[in-house]
Amino acid sequence: MISALQINRLTMAAVVERNAIWIVLLVLLLAGTALSDAFLRPVYLGNVVRQLAPVGIAAVGVTLVMVLGGIDLSVGAVISLAAVICAVQMDGKTGNIPWALGTTLLAGAVVGLANGLLIAFSRASPFILTLGSSLAVYGLTQIYSGGTARGVIAPEFREFFNYRIGGIVPVLALAFLLVALAGALALRHSRHGRSLYLIGSNPRAARITGLPITRITLVTYSLSGLLAGFGGIALLARSGVSGTFSGRGLEFDVLAAVVLGGTTFEGGVGGVGGTVAGMLVLFVAFNMVNMAGLNYNAQLIIKGTIIIASSAAYGYLKRRE
Amino acid sequence: MRRDRARWLQDPRQYAIVIVLLLAVLAAVIGVPDFNTKENLGNVVTQSAALGVLAIGQTFVILCGLIDLSVGQLLGLIVVLSCDLASGRPEWFVAAMALALGLGAACGAVTGLLNNWLRVHPLILTFGLLSVLQGTIFLYTDRSVGQAPPQFAWLANARLGGLPAAALVLLLITATAHLVLTRTAIGRHVYAVGGNEEHARRAGINTPGVKLFVFVMSGLGAGLAAVLVAGRLGTGFPNAGTGYELDAIVAVVLGGTSLAGGTGNVIGTVAAAFVLGLINNSLNLLQISSFVQILVKGLIVIGAILLNQPAGDRQ
Repeated sequence: MISALQINRLTMAAVVERNAIWIVLLVLLLAGTALSDAFLRPVYLGNVVRQLAPVGIAAVGVTLVMVLGGIDLSVGAVISLAAVICAVQMDGKTGNIPWALGTTLLAGAVVGLANGLLIAFSRASPFILTLGSSLAVYGLTQIYSGGTARGVIAPEFREFFNYRIGGIVPVLALAFLLVALAGALALRHSRHGRSLYLIGSNPRAARITGLPITRITLVTYSLSGLLAGFGGIALLARSGVSGTFSGRGLEFDVLAAVVLGGTTFEGGVGGVGGTVAGMLVLFVAFNMVNMAGLNYNAQLIIKGTIIIASSAAYGYLKRRE
Repeated sequence: MRRDRARWLQDPRQYAIVIVLLLAVLAAVIGVPDFNTKENLGNVVTQSAALGVLAIGQTFVILCGLIDLSVGQLLGLIVVLSCDLASGRPEWFVAAMALALGLGAACGAVTGLLNNWLRVHPLILTFGLLSVLQGTIFLYTDRSVGQAPPQFAWLANARLGGLPAAALVLLLITATAHLVLTRTAIGRHVYAVGGNEEHARRAGINTPGVKLFVFVMSGLGAGLAAVLVAGRLGTGFPNAGTGYELDAIVAVVLGGTSLAGGTGNVIGTVAAAFVLGLINNSLNLLQISSFVQILVKGLIVIGAILLNQPAGDRQ
């Protein structure tokens, strides 16, 4: 017999475990304040969110794909492709901005749809398939750009995304938060979102219940591509220049943040909230690493360790349940 | 024995790649100018040898139902460290060789132990290790360092009566790996664990030991491939191994080894490595731009993975 109190304690423990990443974030920020009192200032936090916006927006899409039990490692390549397309189509003219944004998002969605088609109509491993498609997308990016940083952005484009509302919240940061909010609401409250959990945790049962798995797979991968495209636009707005490999390696950031946030490679668990927290932890940690004088290469080691360690930790928690 | 051979013939995936290789050679001889020269054929073999050795190690891992994405960066790390150690001095050959094989085996062992202890999916585990190894290389150096000992260059480039020395190395490794897989207990255990881990465990096979063994073989493959790559490059280039992991996996699956584990062999892997080397060489000779080559490579990866679906499991 389990008493109500015990049940309460069990669920309490589960709640703490599922939200452990927010506690980690809090501890990290408090540790940061010990180093410098800038860490809890709104301007600093706004800056961190602005920095992580391009990767973060893409990570929201990857979270959906991973809840479904898949993975999308082509996001780094799609971010690069999107940044180049957007800059070339804009060609420095304000009037071209809507057209440039539209074609860029469409291109991202098309790559996502192609990934979705390959995965939905085969039983091949999405991990290796999307590694392969990222090579193909890098090839397309190079062909399209001729191998150099082509295209010019309109000054207004940059000003708009980097404007600070009330002097504190950059538009880029707000865009990320809105995308994350939309993703979280869709995952929790829409029929499509909730079916992702069922397909991810038990594809056989999902098939028997008659869920349109193929359609859901196509839509989810297309969304991931679309959001990676938006991530590329955000990266272009943040940096101001388009390089043909500007997104290279960002899939490691994305994967690290998503698995830190409790969405696992096996699928069926996790959510966008965890990914947002994971992103914040990752970037606050990077800032601390920078302050300690370590460079990008140390970050690579940290990212790899985080990917392995948090997958191991969440796997351990799941087995214990 | 006879039944074995009959079964081998019944599964076309086991030998299809050899036919593909022959057709590809024929097509290249006819269609690609300057392909059929002694010099160029030697180049194809030399360039394919490193990939072949690396892919043989990967074959062990994939036969066991696992995967190792960290081999490319491990190869790069070994190229950098062994060149920096030797700095072109012939008397440091043995030390550089020991470093290459020792570090390869040690990193493979660490991967295997982590795989057994953490129980994280090997794709995630080795993808994380890829990032860790890449960071390690670039913390060590961001530009080419040192120089390969002349013996490395000899192994990679020398011709013995027209036959490349690298081909002999590859032949030796292929034969050894084939014998280990088909004629020893540990080799048969690799197939057993890849076929069905639970059954293998109940049959008394030390499954963690077998998994450790395949990752050590993969690390050793990376170490030996690094020797050939270092010999060809001549210097410790930090990006020497970037992307090699995908080529190795593609060679294994094109060679007829199932990503689900349990079926396949190293001979197909080596044939597939030659096919990939030949495609690369032909694209270069036809003066196709490197941008298009990247695209083609990506499409080959996708195509290979799509071809490698478990039979009868299609929807």
